[in-house]
Amino acid sequence: MSSLEAVVRELSRSAARSSALQYLEHAVLAAAAWVLAVFLAARVLPIEQVLRIAALGIPFAFGAVAVGWFASRPRTMNLMRTADLELGLQERLSTAWERRLADGPMDAALRGDALRHAAKVRLAAAFPVRFRRGEAAWIAILAATAIVLVLLPNPMDQLMAQRRADQAAQGRAATTIAAVKKKLTNSTQPAPVDPQVQKILQQLQDKVASAPDPRSALQNITPAEQQLLQLSDPKTPARATTAQNLANSLSGTNAGRIAAQAIATSPAGGAQSLRSLGSQLQSLSPQDRAQLAKALADAAQHAQDPAMAASLQQASSALTTGNLGAASAALNDLAAQFDSLQTQLTNDQEIASAINGLEASRQQLASQADRDAGQSTAPSGSPTTGSGSGQASGNGNGTGNGANGTGNGANGTGNGAGSGAGGGNGTGGLGVSGSGSGSGPAARSTERVYVPGQPVPGQTASDPTPLGPGQDVPLTPYTQVVQAYQQAALQVSNETLIPGSERDLIRQYFSSLSEPTK
Amino acid sequence: MIAEERIDPAKVTELATSLEGELARLIVGQKELVRDTVIGLIAGGHLLLEGVPGLGKTVLVRSLGQALSLSFARIQFTPDLMPADIVGTNVISEDTGRREFRYQPGPLFANIVLADEVNRATPKTQSALLEAMQERTVTVGTETRALPTPFFVLATQNPIELEGTYPLPEAQLDRFFFKILVPFPSEEELLEIARRTTGASITELEPVADAAAILAAQHVAREVPIAEHVLGYAGRLIMATHPDRTELDSVRRYVRFGASPRGLQTLVLAGKVRALLNGRFNVAFDDLAAVAPSALRHRIFLRFEAEADDVTADQIVAEILEKTDRAKAGD
Repeated sequence: MSSLEAVVRELSRSAARSSALQYLEHAVLAAAAWVLAVFLAARVLPIEQVLRIAALGIPFAFGAVAVGWFASRPRTMNLMRTADLELGLQERLSTAWERRLADGPMDAALRGDALRHAAKVRLAAAFPVRFRRGEAAWIAILAATAIVLVLLPNPMDQLMAQRRADQAAQGRAATTIAAVKKKLTNSTQPAPVDPQVQKILQQLQDKVASAPDPRSALQNITPAEQQLLQLSDPKTPARATTAQNLANSLSGTNAGRIAAQAIATSPAGGAQSLRSLGSQLQSLSPQDRAQLAKALADAAQHAQDPAMAASLQQASSALTTGNLGAASAALNDLAAQFDSLQTQLTNDQEIASAINGLEASRQQLASQADRDAGQSTAPSGSPTTGSGSGQASGNGNGTGNGANGTGNGANGTGNGAGSGAGGGNGTGGLGVSGSGSGSGPAARSTERVYVPGQPVPGQTASDPTPLGPGQDVPLTPYTQVVQAYQQAALQVSNETLIPGSERDLIRQYFSSLSEPTK
Repeated sequence: MIAEERIDPAKVTELATSLEGELARLIVGQKELVRDTVIGLIAGGHLLLEGVPGLGKTVLVRSLGQALSLSFARIQFTPDLMPADIVGTNVISEDTGRREFRYQPGPLFANIVLADEVNRATPKTQSALLEAMQERTVTVGTETRALPTPFFVLATQNPIELEGTYPLPEAQLDRFFFKILVPFPSEEELLEIARRTTGASITELEPVADAAAILAAQHVAREVPIAEHVLGYAGRLIMATHPDRTELDSVRRYVRFGASPRGLQTLVLAGKVRALLNGRFNVAFDDLAAVAPSALRHRIFLRFEAEADDVTADQIVAEILEKTDRAKAGD
């Protein structure tokens, strides 16, 4: 060695080489541990893109270890000390390096002595390149375990698929709502309530898109429908009926036949015709006036809207007394009410369109919610067919609920008393659409509930059918029949004219039954 | 005063080798004893030799005097030995017809003083020796006189005859550079001793160095550099001897007092000499470890529990050496 600096360079290279292998092992170990941790976590938590996350951690582990390797490079003095100890140089190198700039009586001799002895040994031997078997064994164990985990089926895969389907269903439902919004916006006759409808739909779209699952998303639709319905004027049907009666009455008169046709066509046209009729009263013959007064009086008598009835009665009385001015004013007042009716009908059309759109969205979410409930209810490895529910549907009591649900009798007559397993607010049924109310303590989710029934195919010997006190018929675990019950109940609800919210309650009830035991 | 001349470090090694070789003509075996003696000599320290009678302690010291061109004096310490007997006294002299007090130097006025069976003298006399060892001067009456340079005291004591002895106090023990245990020779060495000492021929040693060479060697030895981390190791060894500053259970249990700062000085200086004698120009951990027993065994004062459990200072030092990390970072 020509100088201490050359010794330092040689030692630095050797140390870097030696520690690089060690840190490489550390990096591989860290990466293997990361991958294994991700795979293990993916078996207990629903994690998307497991392989990608695992792969992303590998360069991170290598990078972190590389930083550690770089930061832990030994100082020159430590290199010399290690070389002294490992090579038996009796602290020559470290002392010489410490006094490399000193000019004492022995410093020159010290440096020469150190260099002479350094030249006699292989400096790289101070930092041997060692392969740590213990660490390598751990790497092999972790890698093998990770491979086994990859090859074994992951119980979370089904949940992940369900979650993706849920998200897709929610996305489709939100898209449907957005399409409804767009359609209403592009309408040629925008309704006055359009801003409120748009706002309600926008809020619903956001809630559906951000809901944790389709069932939660479904729960937002009914309140939105109710909000939409609140925008509608409850007097509109009465007014529409009154208008129709007026058209019928006027159709039998000479003077009012044209107005009757216009009213039958649309309230707006009717309003125009009534104003025209009011302005033409002077030119009518007394006979026609009497005929018109009588028709107006008939319409007033059958009117379901008090304001319209008053206007009709006022116009009829004025015509009878020959006060044409008052009759004309009353007809104009009636025309204004027809204009209002036209506006209300327009609003109702828009609200109806929106609700129709929501029903489509509801169907999409409900389908996915039903699939979710079916997947979580079906016992693994032995899918049930739903057979064995015939007896239960005959007596029509059909009321069983979990925490808060509603059941409908499938067939027959319900007595309105809550029965079944527990029951918060149960509804019995009269026929297919009857309902009643019942109450009782809610079943705990940990309870195992049995219903009478025949043993079903696939029932295992380890799951015998116990007989309760005083019972002489075998009992079947409810998990084996609830799906059939659900299908029957949903089928009946689909075939019955009931509000969508009622169907939601049915789905919610069965979904609550299928929730995993906590 | 002898002028110190600068010599080559290699000359010190040669001097030590020559001296050891010359002593080996008379002393059979005992290489460690001879090496420690030479280290103490070049370090300028006083030595305490402990061993049973007949092992050649006195012969070694006397031979050292012969192998070096230095004045040699032997004092046999006895209970009735008085301080004046060793430092000298004023006596009446009659020169030119006039009587006056004249100082008569004692045997301490020699380059090499053998204090044989030093623990048999009274503490009063031991104290007189103490001043001479530490100050390298003696005071008689009101006058202080310097002792010749170099000045070595090589004291001997017998570890088994305790009756009628005055064990050296801790302060006096601390002033000895080394306490060297003289081991019993091996069987082969024993036979060689018999051959050499029972024949007709008498071996006479030739001087291999003089006072100037010794002083120059002492000067060179102090120039040997010691790295900071090696010095730190020496410091940790000393700290480890203190029961309140060590992590070693044995030290906490058996040691009453640890080594003084003079112990650290001794370790470093002896390490430097040993490095030089081994042809090195720096102090190594091994140097400190090699001299530690001789440098520390008389500076570690044990509790009664140590005596009860038959634990010696050498065992404590050995454990300290074993447990003290040489490669500790941050030195």
